[in-house]
Amino acid sequence: MAYEPVPGVYDEIFDPAGQPRPAWASLVESLEGLGAEELARRCESAQRMLRENGVSYNVYDDPRGLHRPWELDPFPIVLGEVEWSVLHDGLAQRAELLELILADLYGPRRLLREGLLPPELVFANPTYLRECAVDPSVKRRWLHLYAADLGRSPDGEWWVLADRTQAPSGMGYVLENRIVLSRSLPEPFRASHVQRLAHFFRCLQDAFHWVAPRPVEEPRVALLTPGPWNETYFEHAYLARYLGATLVEGADLTVRESVLYLKTLGGLERIDVLLRRVDDEFCDPLSLRSDSTLGVAGLLHCVRANQVGVMNALGSGLVESPALLAFLPALSQVLLNSELKLPSVATWWCGEPSALAYVLDHLDSLVLKPTFPGPQREPVFAGSLSKARRAKLVEQLRADPVAYVAQERVSLSSAPVWNDGRLEARHVGLRTYAVARANETWEVMPGGLARAGIARDSLVVSMQRGGCSKDVWIRTAEPPHDLSLLRPAGSAVELKRGGTELPSRVADDLFWLGRYVERVEGITRMLRTIVSQLSGRELGERSDLEPLCAALEEQAPPGIVQGPGTSGLEAGVLELLFESPDGALRTTLRTVHQLAFSLRDQLSLDTWRVLSELSQTLDIPYPSLVSARIALNRMILQLSAWSGLAVESMTRTLGWRFAEMGQRVERASYMTSLLSHALVLSAPTETTRLQMLLDTAESVITYRRRYRGELQVEAVIDLLLNDETNPRSVGFQLRALYDHVRHLPGSTDGAPPRIEERIALSLLARLRLADVHELSRVEAGKRLALEDVLARTSEELPAVSDALSRSYLSHSGEVRRTERF
Amino acid sequence: MRYRVIHRTVYEYSEMVSVCHNETHLEPRNSSHQRCLETSLDVRPVPPTLTPETDYFGNPIEFFTLQEPHYQMEVVARSELEIAERTLPAPEETDPWDALRTHVRRERSVEALSAYEMCFASPSVPLLPSFAEYARSSFDLGRPLLDAALELTERIHHDFAFRPGATSVSTPIEEVMRTRTGVCQDFAHVQISCLRSLGLPARYVSGYIRTTPPKGQPRLVGADASHAWVSVWCGAAGWIDLDPTNDLLVSDQHVTVAWGRDYSDVAPIRGVVHGGRDHTVQVGVDVEAIRDDPTTSKVTLGS
Repeated sequence: MAYEPVPGVYDEIFDPAGQPRPAWASLVESLEGLGAEELARRCESAQRMLRENGVSYNVYDDPRGLHRPWELDPFPIVLGEVEWSVLHDGLAQRAELLELILADLYGPRRLLREGLLPPELVFANPTYLRECAVDPSVKRRWLHLYAADLGRSPDGEWWVLADRTQAPSGMGYVLENRIVLSRSLPEPFRASHVQRLAHFFRCLQDAFHWVAPRPVEEPRVALLTPGPWNETYFEHAYLARYLGATLVEGADLTVRESVLYLKTLGGLERIDVLLRRVDDEFCDPLSLRSDSTLGVAGLLHCVRANQVGVMNALGSGLVESPALLAFLPALSQVLLNSELKLPSVATWWCGEPSALAYVLDHLDSLVLKPTFPGPQREPVFAGSLSKARRAKLVEQLRADPVAYVAQERVSLSSAPVWNDGRLEARHVGLRTYAVARANETWEVMPGGLARAGIARDSLVVSMQRGGCSKDVWIRTAEPPHDLSLLRPAGSAVELKRGGTELPSRVADDLFWLGRYVERVEGITRMLRTIVSQLSGRELGERSDLEPLCAALEEQAPPGIVQGPGTSGLEAGVLELLFESPDGALRTTLRTVHQLAFSLRDQLSLDTWRVLSELSQTLDIPYPSLVSARIALNRMILQLSAWSGLAVESMTRTLGWRFAEMGQRVERASYMTSLLSHALVLSAPTETTRLQMLLDTAESVITYRRRYRGELQVEAVIDLLLNDETNPRSVGFQLRALYDHVRHLPGSTDGAPPRIEERIALSLLARLRLADVHELSRVEAGKRLALEDVLARTSEELPAVSDALSRSYLSHSGEVRRTERF
Repeated sequence: MRYRVIHRTVYEYSEMVSVCHNETHLEPRNSSHQRCLETSLDVRPVPPTLTPETDYFGNPIEFFTLQEPHYQMEVVARSELEIAERTLPAPEETDPWDALRTHVRRERSVEALSAYEMCFASPSVPLLPSFAEYARSSFDLGRPLLDAALELTERIHHDFAFRPGATSVSTPIEEVMRTRTGVCQDFAHVQISCLRSLGLPARYVSGYIRTTPPKGQPRLVGADASHAWVSVWCGAAGWIDLDPTNDLLVSDQHVTVAWGRDYSDVAPIRGVVHGGRDHTVQVGVDVEAIRDDPTTSKVTLGS
C-alpha cells in the first residue's frame, strides 16, 4: 500500500532506506497478509464498535453537539522493547523528581532558599495553592498519577513536551482503544507480542489501598467528575466502572466533622479515596475558589485532618508550568543525585535576564507560551506573526518577562493514518502514564495514547482541535500472558447484595430517565393511533380523534396539534415528530439521551445502545405520513427493548425501583389524561373512540379475549382504569408505585407511614374503592364520578414525585431540582 | 496595654439553611508586639466540633459545620490581649526604598523570601501601572522607605473619602481608585497595590482599633467594626504597620487579628451555605482598654 512519509522528520514506521523498522516488521507483514480490502472492512468495524459503545469526546462549541464520536486510527504506534525501556526509566525518574519538587515547594522550600528555583515561579503562580502547604514535619504523597506528553525529533530522540500532574486524562481512552483494536485486528495484535495494560491498572487499584488514610479491606473510592459536559466525561464513567469506583459529582458529596461522605439513598457513606478529575482550585469552594460549583465544601479540611486520600493531592498542578522544564536538569542533580534521563524540549524562562536576551535574539524560531495558566493559553509562533503583532509581543516580553516561556519548535515524527482507504502521513505525539507504588517507585504504563495531527502539515496534535488517536503497542520478546482485573480464583470474596449505597443524584437521574422514556412511549403510542387513523379518512369523519388530539396537545408546544376537523392536523403531526425543535418528542428524546449519558456507569452497554438508537430514530430525510408510521413502529420496538432489558437485566436494586417509579408515575399520568379526554364527556356513539383507546393502550387483545363482542364503556373503564392485572391500567401503575415506595430505605413495618407512602396509598385506595358502574354512569352528558376520580388522581401524582425528591433525592433539604417539565 | 475584644456577627436568612461550612479568622494571632492571652469562639447553633488549624501565614483559623436546620447563625469571638508599644525607627533613617527593592529580589533567607512573596499580585490586589504612577511622586530614588511610605499613607488619607456602604468586598480597586471613595479595606488594598507595583513587599492586616480613645484623643475611624491596614517590609527594621484610613503609624492602639496577601486570605468568616436564599449580616465590635496604665505596657513580650 502506498505511503509517503513527511520528508525531513523521523518516520515511525520506515527507516530512511524505506524499510520497516524492526519493531514494526511483524505488524506490516500481518497487515499485508490481510490485504487492502479486508483492512478497510476491519477499519469500518473498529469505527462501528466505537460508535456503538458510545465512546465520545466532548468538544466545546462543536456544531455536532455534546458527543462527538472518538476517532481511533486503526494503525497503532509500535515501539520495541529496548527503545521502550529507555522511555520507561526516564518517565519513572521524572515522576519521582516532580514528587520531590512538590514536597519541597509545599514544605521546607529548600529549592528557593538555595537559589535552585526562582521564587517568582512559585509566588506569582496562581496554581501555587497556599492552603495546601504542609508543615515540613508532615509526610505527604503529592503525585499518584503522572502523565507526560512526548514528541520525537528528526534524529529519533524522544523529548518531553509537557508534564501533567494534577488530573491527567486519557487513560480510559487508552483502554477502549486497546479493546477495539485488539478485537478488530486480532492477527497483527497476536503477531506483535504486545505488552498488556491490565497490570498497570491493577497497580492503580493497589494505590487505593495505600492512599486510603485508614486501614480498610475495601477502601471506598469515588471518581470526582465535573459532569457530563466535560470533554472527557465518557472516560470518567468508563474508568469509574473499570476500577470499581463510584462516579460522583461535587454535589453528591458532603463533609461532616472533617470526613468526606457520599450522599446515598441509604444515608451518608464514608469515602476513603477521591480520584479527582476536577482541577485543583475548583475542588473546594470553602477554602479554594468560592465560585466553583464542581467541588465539595470542606474537602481541604478532610485532607488536613488526614481523613481522605485525594489523587493527585490538591495543589499538585503547581509543577505543570512549562517554565519548570528549564530547571529540571539541575534539580535532578540536586534532588536525585543523577542526570535527567529523559530530556525536555529546550525551554527558556524569560524571567531570567540571560534567557530573555536569548529569546529576543532568536524569537522567530521559538514558540511562546504563558508561564502560568490563565485566559491566554494558546502558544504563539513568533515567526508567523505580522510585523505589528511581533513588535507588540516583544513589548509584552520586556514588560512582564516572568509571564513568558519560550520553547524550541519540535518537528514531530510522522506515522501513517488511515484516511478514506488511503494511508497518509501525519505528525504524532505520545501521552504516557505512570502510577505510584506504595514503596515510592513508579509503574509506567506499557502503552499510551498517541495523537495525530489533523492534516499533513499540522504540527499541533490535540483531541480538542480534531485529529485522531492511536493505540501504542510496546513489544515484548516473550508472548505476554493475559492478566485481568478479576480476582484470582480461590481468593475469598465478600458477597454483596442490595444497593442502598446508590448516590442520590444517580437515583434521581434514574427516576427521571424512567419518566422521560415513558413519556416518549406515551406520545409515540398516541401519535401512532392518530397517524393510522388519518389515512383514508375525510375531514368530516375524524371527530373521533378529538380526545387523542387533546391529550397529545398537553404534551406539545401550543399551536402545533390542531383539531382533527382541520386539514392542519397532518402537518402538525409531522412537525411534532420530525421538525419542531422544542416539540415534545425531540426535547424529550434529547433529555433521555443526556440522562442516559450521565448514567453511563449505571447502564449496561445494550441498554445504552437501545436508548442511543431510540434518540436517532427521528433523523429521517423526507418526512411523510408513511415514514412517520415506520418511525413510530420502530420506536415502539425500541421502547419494548428498553422495558425488556429493565425487566430481565436490571437487578432489583434501589436504582431499578427509582427507574420503575419514574415510569409508573408517568404512565399513570398520561393514562389518566387520556381517559379523562376520551370518556368524561359522553358521546352518542363511542365505539370508535373506545377502539382507539384500547389501541393506544395496547389492550385490544385482552379486551377481545375477555368480552368478545361489542365494545362497552364500563368494561373499557374497568380494563384501563381499575384492573390491577393489566400493565397498562392506571390501577396497575398505582399499585406498583405503592409497592416500590414501601420498599425504600427508611420504611419499616409498624412505624408511621411516611408522606410518600401516605400519598401512594391514598391514590391506590381511591381507585380500589371506586365502583365501576358508578364511574360509567352518565348524568347530563357527563360521567361525574369518573371525572372526580381522574381529577384527584392527576392532582396527587405530582405530590408523590415531590415527596420522593424531598425524602431521598436531596439530602439535608437541598432540592437540586423540583421541576423538570 | 491590655484589651478585651468582643466581635459579634449575626447572619439572618430568609429561608432555612440546612447545612453550612465555615472557616473563621477571628482569633487574634501572636506577634512580636502582641500576645493573645485568652480567646474563645461561641457559635449558635452550637456546632458538633470546632477544628482549630493554622493557615499558611501562621494565623489561627477555626473550621466548623452546622448541620442542624437554622435561620440564624451567631458567631461571637471574645479575646483578651496584651499589646506593647512599638519601638519605631526614625522614618528618615530607614533604607532607601530602591535599595530595599533590589535586596528583597536577591536575598534568599527565610524572612526575605516571605517578604518577597508579598511583592506579587494577589486575588484582590492586581498590580497596575496606574497605581505605580500614583505612588511614584512620593518615591524619589534614594528616599528612605518609611519616609516615602508615610507620605503615601498621608496622600491616600487626603485623596480618598471614607464612605461606608460606597463599596462592597467585591468592588475592584480600579474602581476605588477612580471614585476615590471606599472604606478601610479598600484603602489598604490601594496602598498595597501602590507599594507592590513599585516592587516593595506589602501585606494586609485585619484587626480592630479601640472603641473609646484614650483621654484627650479623637475617636478613630473604623472603631465599631473590623478594621484593616497595611504592613510594609523595611528590611532590617522589619514589618511596619501603616493605617491609611487614619493616617498614622500603628503602635498600641491597633489589635491585630491576622495578616495575609489581601482581604481574601483573612476574611473574618468565610462560608458555604446550603439553602438560606437571601441573608443579612450584622457585625458589632467592642474593643475595651482594660488597663491603661503605661507602666504595664512596657512588658517584654518576646516573639
